[in-house]
Amino acid sequence: MSEMQDIVIVGAGAAGLMLAARLAEGGQSVTVLEAGPERKLSDLISSQIWARKLKWSEPAVSESGDHKIGHAFNAGSGTGGSAIHHYGVWLRMHEGDFSLKSDHGVGLDWPLSYADLAPHYDRVQAEVGLSGDADQERWRPQGAPYPMPPLPLFAQSRVLARGFAKTGRHTSPLPLAINSEPYQGRRSCQYDGWCDAGCPIGALANPLVTWLPRALAAGVRLEHNARVSRVIRSASQSQRIESVEYLQGGERKTIQADRIIIAAFAVQSVRILLSSASEQYTAPGNHSGQLGRYLMTHPAATVFGLFDDETHPHQGVSAGQLLNHDDYDKKDATGGFGSSQWMIGHAIKPHDLLGYGTGRPDISGAELEPWLQRAARHLGNMTLVCEDIASPENRITLSDRLDSDGIPYAHTHHDLDPEAAARWTQRMSEGADIMRAAGASEVWSGPRIGMHIMGGAVMGNDPAQSVTDAFGRVHDTDNLYIAGPALFPSSGAVNPTFTLTAMASRQADYLLGKS
Amino acid sequence: MPASLSRRHLLARSSAAGFFMIAGQWLWLTPREAEARAFAPQILSPEQSKALSILGDALVPGAATAGLAAYIDLQLQAGDQSLLIGKYLGVDTATQASFYRAAADNVIAMTDENTSMQTLISGMAADALSEWVGPPASYVLFVLRADALDVAYGTPEGFEKLGIPYMAHIMPEQPW
Repeated sequence: MSEMQDIVIVGAGAAGLMLAARLAEGGQSVTVLEAGPERKLSDLISSQIWARKLKWSEPAVSESGDHKIGHAFNAGSGTGGSAIHHYGVWLRMHEGDFSLKSDHGVGLDWPLSYADLAPHYDRVQAEVGLSGDADQERWRPQGAPYPMPPLPLFAQSRVLARGFAKTGRHTSPLPLAINSEPYQGRRSCQYDGWCDAGCPIGALANPLVTWLPRALAAGVRLEHNARVSRVIRSASQSQRIESVEYLQGGERKTIQADRIIIAAFAVQSVRILLSSASEQYTAPGNHSGQLGRYLMTHPAATVFGLFDDETHPHQGVSAGQLLNHDDYDKKDATGGFGSSQWMIGHAIKPHDLLGYGTGRPDISGAELEPWLQRAARHLGNMTLVCEDIASPENRITLSDRLDSDGIPYAHTHHDLDPEAAARWTQRMSEGADIMRAAGASEVWSGPRIGMHIMGGAVMGNDPAQSVTDAFGRVHDTDNLYIAGPALFPSSGAVNPTFTLTAMASRQADYLLGKS
Repeated sequence: MPASLSRRHLLARSSAAGFFMIAGQWLWLTPREAEARAFAPQILSPEQSKALSILGDALVPGAATAGLAAYIDLQLQAGDQSLLIGKYLGVDTATQASFYRAAADNVIAMTDENTSMQTLISGMAADALSEWVGPPASYVLFVLRADALDVAYGTPEGFEKLGIPYMAHIMPEQPW
């Protein structure tokens, strides 16, 4: 491949394919390089074991720290990236998430505000299709109402809502990128709980049914199994990145472009840039040693309860059905630091990492099957998501290990800030109380896990303290951009897909000269 | 494995079924079928495979006949495409085989005809086995139990045992 492209995008996930579609529709020639295989809707087999094919495999990412990011579970590979198996929880960040340093003296500020993103949240939700009830979200930042009504409420969520009401809390329908009714030619949900394995009917807005058809119709070229090793600076203009080097089919190839966008999720985006250092130059974006720093992952865990009520927890969607943000804006309330949210009433399976059988290692032998049979009819579960606090010590680096192609593996280190950990502990205790108030006769919880991955190439106004500017342009380059959650200077406590897509929408307008 | 069939071909056909050596012949079988026909493991030794199967079945009754040993061995053959749950739990696919070998060797070393499986499980759960070598016993127990749950309950048949409708959009090619 030798011809010049207007745009090369690395990564065919939520941000990469969105940018590809918008930029190609705007008249740009676009090629997307995706490290993983081509995936089609027919690949999305309804099985939690088969679903593991969709997750990141090799090259391995090694992890250390007291709160690891769970890369193998959170990351994806192939067409659609991690969004192919995401659960479709599309929440806006709150206004206060953008000014953490200014308001509270911790973490980082964003170089933009909620008001900058609001038009893009509105535009994207109309393009993708969200179900929800904005009026019931008393905590929701200003924005257009959802284009579809919320999903119907199943027995489990009705039972759990009792606990929130009895403890003086509120719930609203969880806003979801899942069709509650046919939308733009896509079918409505069947509520079978296989979201983690990917939604082959297209009710859940994964990129295979949203951005990919638009991208291909606009002429985007998509190269699979094209693993990027590095970007290469121009020999004559050091500020300019002139090409991308990648491995495909055993060959080492390069492709040139006017502008290059790295949208390979947080860890691999940073790995690519760190691998691009040369004897003459530091890695792009690492002129002040900030590349790879401020890696974040939400501290999260699930609270379970057994009820006398019939809850039928196999019904619904993996994401849950109800939302609670009562405490979201109380970042500096006593007991710790940070925002938090509850996602309530997940459809759940008996096995796999998040399954109810897996979560009770104390039950085995002859007791197991009767217990599983009871849980299959009477279980309730809800997940706490808390805010992570950006720290420069939490970072992505290159490992000493090289893969068979001589490319360094990535290594991540993440410790949880004690104040964020305290908030998590506080809210988990409250969660157990809520579950009991709902009527659970037995309550337990899963371990604290890292949910979602953000940061590593954070945006900011000060080139000495950040990697990119407010539009994702890498500070020490003219034409290299980052897209996706790697840019986040703070995590908030909401699932990141809506925000990273809105940011990509804003970037697309900028690159097309519309803003 | 027949020379004409590459590993990638095998993976493309199915992750749940595979070629198993049965009485000197390669046959395409599900793990359950392979278990029933006394397959010859290719990664683990027969003793290691048997030890994991017995322990897994003590944790999750029915896992052995559902094909736990054959499932583990088949997935270990898949290398970096392994679908064992250890992928999510920090078991690097490059070291998965040694993880399972070490686990099995510990089980073999710590059991005899006088040892109840329940005693071993209790000791593993509490990390109270002083001669245990390698990754913590409680962690090994968690991983193996999760594998056993996959085999016993992660299938349409497993769902049926629990009274849950499977409701597949696309049914797995191999029901297990």
